[in-house]
Amino acid sequence: MHAFTQLVRMKVFYFLAFFAVILIASNFFNLPQHQGPESTGTHVLSSIKSWSLGAMTLFSVVLSIVATALLLPKDVEDRTLYTILAKPVPRLDYLAGKLLGVLLLVFVSLLLMDMLMTGILYLRTNLLLSQQLGIAAARGWPAAETLALKTEILAQGPTLSLQGAVFAIFLQAAIIASIALLISTFSSSTLFTTIICFLIFFCGHFQADARAAYLSQEVGMADGWFSRLVTLLVALVLPDFQIFNVIDAVIEGQVMPLFIAGKLALIGLFYVVFYIFASWVAFAKKEF
Amino acid sequence: MAGHRKELQACPRGGNLFGLMTDRPTAVEIRHLVKDFKTSFKKQPLRAVDDVSIRIMPGEVYGLIGPNGSGKSTTMKALLGLVAPSSGDCSIFGKDSLKVDSRDEVGFLPENPYFYKHLSGEETLKFYGKLCGIKGAKLRDRVKELLELVDLTGASHRRIGGYSKGMLQRIGLAQALIQEPRLVILDEPTAGVDPVGSREIRDLIFKLKEQGITVFLCSHLLEQVQEVCDTVGIIFRGKMIKEGKLDDLIAIEDQTELVLKDASPELVAEIEELIARDGNAELVRTGRPRTTLERLFLRETRKHDSYR
Repeated sequence: MHAFTQLVRMKVFYFLAFFAVILIASNFFNLPQHQGPESTGTHVLSSIKSWSLGAMTLFSVVLSIVATALLLPKDVEDRTLYTILAKPVPRLDYLAGKLLGVLLLVFVSLLLMDMLMTGILYLRTNLLLSQQLGIAAARGWPAAETLALKTEILAQGPTLSLQGAVFAIFLQAAIIASIALLISTFSSSTLFTTIICFLIFFCGHFQADARAAYLSQEVGMADGWFSRLVTLLVALVLPDFQIFNVIDAVIEGQVMPLFIAGKLALIGLFYVVFYIFASWVAFAKKEF
Repeated sequence: MAGHRKELQACPRGGNLFGLMTDRPTAVEIRHLVKDFKTSFKKQPLRAVDDVSIRIMPGEVYGLIGPNGSGKSTTMKALLGLVAPSSGDCSIFGKDSLKVDSRDEVGFLPENPYFYKHLSGEETLKFYGKLCGIKGAKLRDRVKELLELVDLTGASHRRIGGYSKGMLQRIGLAQALIQEPRLVILDEPTAGVDPVGSREIRDLIFKLKEQGITVFLCSHLLEQVQEVCDTVGIIFRGKMIKEGKLDDLIAIEDQTELVLKDASPELVAEIEELIARDGNAELVRTGRPRTTLERLFLRETRKHDSYR
C-alpha cells in the first residue's frame, strides 16, 4: 500500500488520468467527421475502442516499467532500504510489496480509464443505436434485419469481451512490471532497467514468430529435447506478449471466450510468480 | 582484548563462552567478524573488517569509534544482516543476525538517513510500525508517544521533505524505537547536526539508557561518545585496537584531580605548600577549569533565546 501511496504522491497517476481524458475525449469530439446517413457508424465505436485500448496499453506498460524500475534503486540510494530491512521484514515481502504497489496503481489507472471508455462508449452506442434504428424504421427495414443491425451495433459497444481485453492489458503490464522488478534487483541504474524492459516487451511480441521460424529451419530437431529446451528458455526470458494481444479481435467486435481470459490469467500468474521468485533469489543475498 | 581473543579462540565455534562467563544473556555478540569486499577483477579483495569481536551486555551503551573508512558501519551492517560476514558471526539476543527474527528487537538509525519525502512524520512512524506488525490503537498511541519523545509533535503532519537535518535524525531515532526494541543501533547519530540538535539526540540516548535499552553507536565525535558510553571500542583499518570500560580507558592512573570552588588565594597557596613538602607528589598544573566550546555555545544560545 505504501508503494502505491508513494507513486500516487509522485503525481504519476494524475498525469495518466489527464492523458486518458484527452485521448478518450479526442475520440468523442472527432465523431461528427465520421457521421453520414449511409454509414452504420460502428467504425466510430471501433475507433473509440482502438484509441482507448491503445492508450491503456501504452500507459500501463510505461507506468509498470518506469515505476518498478524507480522504486528499488531509489530506496537504496536514499538508504531508506537500510531502515526497512533493519526491521523484521523478509526480503521477499519487501519485493512483493513493491510490486503489488505498482500493480495496484496500474489496476486503479486502468479501472479509471476503463470506466471513462465504457461510459463514453455506452453513450455513443446508445446514440448510434437510436439513430440507426430510426433510419431503419424510416426505410421500413424488416424486423430481422433491424435486429441484426442492433446486434451488430451492440457488439461494438461496451461488452464483457471489452473488459476481457482490459484485463489482458493489465496482465501484460503485471508481467512486464515483474520483469522490471527482477532486473532492478541487480541493475545499477533505473535507465538500464527501463531500456532492457522496453526491449523485452518489444521482442516479446515477436518471439513466438522468431521461435517458430528458427525451429522450422532445424528440421531434424523440431520435436527433440533441444528444441523444447530452447522453446522453454526463450519463453521464460522473453514472454510471448502476442498471446495477450486480444485487443484487435475485440475491437472488431469478436467475442472473447471466458476460457481465454482464464488461460491468460493463468499464464500471467505463472510469469509474475516466476519473476518474483527469480527477483527474490537475486535479492536475498544482496549486500547493501 | 588480546586475552579475550585467546579465550574466544579456545572456545569451540558456536559454544557459548560468554554464557559461561555471566548469567545474563548478551545483547550483541560479534565473533571474529571478517568482511572482505570484492573489488575489480583479479585484484585482492578489500578487507573492511578484520577479526573484530564485540560483546555488549543488556542496558550497556557501547561506542565504536574510529576514523572514516575504518569499518564501523560495515560492522553494524553485518550485525543487522545487511551484509553477510566473510567469516565469523554476529548475533542479537542470541539470534543469528542473518535471520529475520533477529531484527525483532532492534532499532536502527543509519548515517544520514533519508526517509520517504512524500510522507509526514506521523505517517513515517506508522509505516515503520506496520513493518513491525503494530496496528490500530496501539500503533497510534506509540506514534504519539514517540513524537512527544523526540519533540516533533508540532511537525508531525509536515512532510519529511521539509524537515531539517536535526529533525530527520530525531524522526529517524523515533522510527528506530517504534517496536520498543531492546537494542538500538545508531550509526553516526549526530552527523551534520548542529550543537543544539546534537545535544537533543544525546539527551535521548541518555533517556534510552535510563530505560535499560542497550545502545550500540558508532561515531567519530569523540566528545559525544565519551559523554554517553559505558564501553568503548576503537577500530582502525578494520581491526579492533582497543576496547574496554570508558572510565578505565581514559583515566590517567598516576594523577589526581582536585577541583575547588570559591577557594581563597591563601588556601591555594597552602595546598601548594603542602604538595611541595611531600617528597613524591608533584603539582602538574593549577588554573581555572574551562568549559567546552559546545557548552558555551549552548549556554549563550539559550540565554539569547530566553530574551526573545
